Amino acid sequence: MACSLYHEGECSPVLSRMRVVKYEALGRNFPSVCSQCSKPQCLAACDQGAIRLNESTGAVSVEESLCTGCRSCLVACPAMGFHPVKKVAFKCDLCGGDPQCARFCPSGALTFRSVDEFLMERRREMADKVILTAQE
Amino acid sequence: MVDGWTGRRLRVDLSKSTVKVEEIEKAYREKWLGGRGFNSELLYREVGPDVDPLSPENKLIFGVGPLTGTFAPSSGRTTVTAKSPLGGGFGDSNMGGHWGPELKFAGYDQLVVEGKASKPVYLWIDDEHVEIRDAGHLWGRTVPEADAILKEELGSKEIHIALIGPAGENLVRYACILNDVYRAAARTGIGAVMGSKNLKAVAVRGTGPVTVSHPDEFYQVCADIRERMKRDLMVQMLYDQGTWLLTMPANYEQGWFCWHNFQKGFHPDASKLSGENHRDNFLSHREGCFACPISCGRFSKIKEGKYAGEITGGPEYETLTAVGPRIGLLDMDEVVHNNKLVNELGLDSCSCGGAIAWAMECWEKGLLTREDTDGLILNWGDQTLIDRLIRMIAFREGFGNILAEGSSRAAELMNRGADFSISVKGHDMSQDDPRGLGFAFGIGFATGRRGGDHLQGLPCLELTGGFYPGLVEKILGTREAEDRLSPVKKPEMEKYSEDLKAVGDSLTQCTFTHNWSFAVQPEDMVRLLSAATGMDISADDLLRIGGRIVHLERAYWNRLLVGCMEDHCPKRFTQEPMPDGPNKGMVFPEADLIPRYYDVRGWDRMTGFPLPDVLIEYGLENVARDLEPCREEYQKKMQMEVQMAEKL
Repeated sequence: MACSLYHEGECSPVLSRMRVVKYEALGRNFPSVCSQCSKPQCLAACDQGAIRLNESTGAVSVEESLCTGCRSCLVACPAMGFHPVKKVAFKCDLCGGDPQCARFCPSGALTFRSVDEFLMERRREMADKVILTAQE
Repeated sequence: MVDGWTGRRLRVDLSKSTVKVEEIEKAYREKWLGGRGFNSELLYREVGPDVDPLSPENKLIFGVGPLTGTFAPSSGRTTVTAKSPLGGGFGDSNMGGHWGPELKFAGYDQLVVEGKASKPVYLWIDDEHVEIRDAGHLWGRTVPEADAILKEELGSKEIHIALIGPAGENLVRYACILNDVYRAAARTGIGAVMGSKNLKAVAVRGTGPVTVSHPDEFYQVCADIRERMKRDLMVQMLYDQGTWLLTMPANYEQGWFCWHNFQKGFHPDASKLSGENHRDNFLSHREGCFACPISCGRFSKIKEGKYAGEITGGPEYETLTAVGPRIGLLDMDEVVHNNKLVNELGLDSCSCGGAIAWAMECWEKGLLTREDTDGLILNWGDQTLIDRLIRMIAFREGFGNILAEGSSRAAELMNRGADFSISVKGHDMSQDDPRGLGFAFGIGFATGRRGGDHLQGLPCLELTGGFYPGLVEKILGTREAEDRLSPVKKPEMEKYSEDLKAVGDSLTQCTFTHNWSFAVQPEDMVRLLSAATGMDISADDLLRIGGRIVHLERAYWNRLLVGCMEDHCPKRFTQEPMPDGPNKGMVFPEADLIPRYYDVRGWDRMTGFPLPDVLIEYGLENVARDLEPCREEYQKKMQMEVQMAEKL
């Protein structure tokens, strides 16, 4: 809800760049959002040049005025969204560097970090298993 | 375009198979807010005193509010209202999950189900498309089974379903409604009302937005409150242990742990059911409701023993004590298993535990024998028996058929053990004992809209208010009220909490944000409401709307000729001193507190009816008129009772 309100001024799961796939009987949830990959399929699928990579931040975003609503990008990647009223594609743009979903996530399920921070954290988790177990 | 609300009510008549959409006008929206306020008003106006709760004339009402479906913290709740088949009077229950927001996204503030289908059906609401569909193949299915079948049949897993289990179908008087499999609107038997209409489920898919009047301001208010909640001690504790955090203080410090149907308030081994033990050994993972930064919800997994491998949503504190210590169990795996069982069969755990506890205490005191129970031996804590009995209740088999009526009616039917039905106005107590929990709570038990229940006001100001420096003093003018067993300002505290809770239930916003944690204050609710809807209102006026709702619900009972004579806690709380534990010797001083509460509320001490002037002040002129003949009739009823007592 933070996402759709921030970007569209309305509260609507359909307008959210971050969607959650739910398994009610198991109480499990799977957050799904653009991973800002390096060779974006959405960008490759766009013939209009409406999807662009910001070299400095690494964020891939949609230029609404250039989007024709052809939906090719939706076929290319499920992390895309489509505005039912404006009839244009939308996607996560990292909120200009302060993703609101991560800002308000209460449980720590969503965080925003650099690739190196993320990897070092993973490495430390692995190292903990060796070092700290040996300590005990 | 309406902001906050959708301004639309969906009305489905199952007798005539008709569906219509009605407008909810601005003046009405601003008078009753939404959710519980909308529902209570509609119930009062459309379901009169003569309606049998299980007849087609009763109405099942689902309501959400102007904040439901938005980014406002903990706003994803739904109130379900109907005349109660358990107490015979006002009934409502509130559920979390994601169903309510989905109804809002589909474009409705309220769903009213009337009449009765000629055969089992379910309702499919897909935005504007509303369809009554055959549910013959779902009848008899448990809650998770029916949920899975419906998702398969409707070809989408991206839908939310509110439904009843076998208990609702079989008209167990305390059957519940669940959504998203484990989120229950449990109390007052509304699941039986749904069953009486032959309605198995309401499946919803909504794809529309909820718009707000001032998006930037709304975003900022939500951000402020969420930042505050992150740092809030109570929010952190609820996330860590869920409501299980209550076990240890309830037993060892405050002495209101419900053991053997409230015969005791303390057990030396209660720590077996501690929040720490659950978190460390039984917690599978946490699961929050829509837009909730608290996530008090639990999923539990049993690792060892005969129930090894079972996974279930919950339990929370009231359930764990209802199908646990109230009936003599202290083993975590048995409690978690029983929770799973009552949820899947669609029973309210509190009243189910209350009915079984009544029978067990009758057995203990020799009032029931094997002849009465179809040969069953009803010893406290016999898990094999309890497992069997829960199923017998849901399917109304044998002795289970008696217990399915609820403890109060069961005592009447068997003509014994009335004092062991720990209930108020026919509605079983939640597992909260005012001889230790607190005196403001006790007022709510005696006078509440549902009967015995902690959620009339949830006046946690007397439990956790002290953690918030200056809060209790600011609201009530004295710190003395922070002491839960002090009578000082308790009627005022209960009134304040009730009014605030009625607002929260109507907006909707979870009561844990403002009546357990106090991270959200009335001023915050005003900011949220104004930014969402454009409504211009002060905090005091907002609380007055809460008061209006409380008065209307009170009038619902008064119209049924229920008043001060019925405003009593179970005798156990007022006449039996607490036998042991930290509060040894304590009784609940009802005779002192209730009249004072009437004064604070503006209710007549002689009858317990709201005074006409007060009703008019709250904008309830029609209610004031309705109640005049009832007041006279009630006074006659009181005189007759006095004469009867004198004869005896």
